[in-house]
Amino acid sequence: MSDAVLRSERLCKRFGITTAVDDVSLEFEKGEIHGLIGENGSGKSTFCSTLCGIYPPSSGRFLLEGKELKARSQVEANRRGVSIIVQETGTLPGLTVAENLFLGEEDKFMHGIVKDAGAMDREAQRLLNEYGFTRIVASRMIDYYSFEDRKLIEIVKATYFNPKVLVVDETTTALSQSGREELFTVMDRARSLGNTVIFISHDLEEVIERADRISVLRDGRLVATVRSAEVGSGELKHLMVGRELGTHYYRTDYGEPVPDEVVLRVDDLSVPGQIQGLSFDLRKGEILGIGGLSECGMHEVGKAIFGASFGRSGRVTLEDGYGVDSIPGAIRHGVAYASKDRDNESVVIADSIRDNICLPSLDDLAAGPFLRSGKLDAFARRNAELMSVKMTGIDQYVSSLSGGNRQKVVLARWLGKDSDILVLDSPTRGIDVKVKADIYALMDELRRKGKSIVMISEELQELLGMSDRILIMKRGRISGEFARSRSLGERDLITKMV
Amino acid sequence: MEIQSEASAVGKVKSRKYLRELMPLLGFMGVIVAFSIATGGKITAPANLSLMLSQVYVLLISSMGVFMVMTVGGLDFSQGSILGLSSIVFCWVSGHSIVAGIAAAALAGAAMGAFNGFFHVRFRIASFIVTICTMYFFRGLCKYITTNGPVPAIPEVLELNLTWLKLLLAAVMLMTGFAVWRFTRVGCDLRAIGAGETAARFSGCRPDLRKFLVFTAAGAITGFASFINVVKVGSITGTAGSQLETQILIALVLGGMPISGGAKARFSNIIIGTLTYCVLEMSLPMVFPIPATQQLVKGMVFLVVVALTIDHESLRVIK
Repeated sequence: MSDAVLRSERLCKRFGITTAVDDVSLEFEKGEIHGLIGENGSGKSTFCSTLCGIYPPSSGRFLLEGKELKARSQVEANRRGVSIIVQETGTLPGLTVAENLFLGEEDKFMHGIVKDAGAMDREAQRLLNEYGFTRIVASRMIDYYSFEDRKLIEIVKATYFNPKVLVVDETTTALSQSGREELFTVMDRARSLGNTVIFISHDLEEVIERADRISVLRDGRLVATVRSAEVGSGELKHLMVGRELGTHYYRTDYGEPVPDEVVLRVDDLSVPGQIQGLSFDLRKGEILGIGGLSECGMHEVGKAIFGASFGRSGRVTLEDGYGVDSIPGAIRHGVAYASKDRDNESVVIADSIRDNICLPSLDDLAAGPFLRSGKLDAFARRNAELMSVKMTGIDQYVSSLSGGNRQKVVLARWLGKDSDILVLDSPTRGIDVKVKADIYALMDELRRKGKSIVMISEELQELLGMSDRILIMKRGRISGEFARSRSLGERDLITKMV
Repeated sequence: MEIQSEASAVGKVKSRKYLRELMPLLGFMGVIVAFSIATGGKITAPANLSLMLSQVYVLLISSMGVFMVMTVGGLDFSQGSILGLSSIVFCWVSGHSIVAGIAAAALAGAAMGAFNGFFHVRFRIASFIVTICTMYFFRGLCKYITTNGPVPAIPEVLELNLTWLKLLLAAVMLMTGFAVWRFTRVGCDLRAIGAGETAARFSGCRPDLRKFLVFTAAGAITGFASFINVVKVGSITGTAGSQLETQILIALVLGGMPISGGAKARFSNIIIGTLTYCVLEMSLPMVFPIPATQQLVKGMVFLVVVALTIDHESLRVIK
């Protein structure tokens, strides 16, 4: 089977400074189902979007049957025989099922400038019946149908013209068991007709079962391509998540006892669709790591503790008995939060460093209702300098700072507030090694001073290196707990994550 | 070498920033100079100055409320109708006591502002849509009440048409507003909410509550200004106060107020903007005697000023 239908040659896709796909050369054979796996942000979806003409590549190219494929839109890719079923809904509301099916192909039904809607509906219905989706009526508005039915319509849309390459991008998560079976039938049929299916999924068992070969991406790079008959899910997990990273800048102590004093108690915490029935304690001077795959709900835990989640149930109780139920309340009682989404949730980027640092502490800085701007300036300057924020002055806007410096502003504001509990979500995300080391040193220092830290992170090395205790989450629940230990390794965590 | 160039780049950015902040003031002086020349110095004649001053008060006070609304990223088109309706309330109540009349007018304004705020916050409708709707709604009420003729004020009210009193009231209002803006957390909160509502929420501000209060305050402030309006005009017709909303918006933008609100809002925008607008309003009839031409020129001047002063940088940050 050396006849590759589709080949990517040194493909790169960059968005600003981040490289989503990094030098990926891959071959897809005729008549195979090729699994594509990797963590969130590993570049799977970007790779396929580039293939289907949604983004142009930054460098490198795709070859379809030996000829360069340079699609500028999805419709153009379709015409070359490449089609995609996407993660999000790919149907347009406000149009009929038939109009959605033939989007971009309306010319087929045009008589001069008049569209033959009847012929379009009839053809669409014929296709739907052929796939066995007889309950879907082609002339109805798409809005009438459920999310799952729309996915089925998309499947028809992506496959009715018998494409040479079909991309299925995490569609199974939106489908029930019966819907999945329908999709797998369509995939198998495409393979038996000698076409190629690229299958992206988070469910490793599913991928091993369905795919002939599997390629693993990590941080935009191709890690390996393996035959699915020859691997187990354990091996794939390690290929997906394993990282080579030095450990020298983490804290080095092991076996230091953590005081028994509980400063925060989380009781049966739930957020609809995100986390379910979480209970755990945070102790004084402890760094509690929370890890898992990106979508496991761990990022919502931070928001829920901070009183920022919508529809939260359960209790978050502080040492003094205060139950956190709103952001201002959390801040007042010494809880700090740094979001993973730094630019939208942690700092007001279109505002000055001064205002950003002072905002949570305004009530402390006020005498009665009144504030003195001299006092605010001094407060902001002192804390910015404490964190050595690189700036031209406290009047500078946060939008003009680098990611690392923005994070320093976030930390500066909470240092200024002197919060006792810091919830840090992905504290070193997108930050260079130097600032990373500064942040780890600060966390260690805070811990020694008796501050407690909840560190939510997707980086396993960081969790292993910094935490006194690690909670691993899977599908919104805690799936494992580990105490700090030299012998603890990535593999131990991964088995509980996937 | 490198450090030097970095320093000079920083310097350049800073001086550009100061220039931008000075733009409205330069614009104001430019307008004065231009019209002094065009009218042969007539605009600075005492009679004209006092005419101008008599038009300033209501605009100046009402702009303060809309200034806060715009800082959080909203717009308020219902101000003129609020002025009309609260003027009527003042006329009714002032028969008993003028002070009670002022209080009632401010309360009525606050209620109308709260109405705006409630629909904006509770139902997440863009503020310009809510306030365009309430502009018609309040105006409708105003016209309904005045169907059988204008609502007159009691004669004692007209005796209060004293420059020193109006000046004093405007100054007190302005100083109170400035103190609240500058020396309490209100200014900080509103700027942050306008610059990034989600991040402001995560910093401990309460955006929904603040926005509701800001609309309520804007209504109350205009309600208060209706006293000065009644003192000047004497009786309230169905169209009383109409066009105030556009005057306020034009004044604020002339004063350098960023349309998208946020951290670049300055209290001085209110004062410079109102003065620039009033100078324009007073001088145009002297230079262009035909009203149609005045409108034309006003529109052009406004467009040119906005084009020159608009801050593209701050617009780019908005998502």
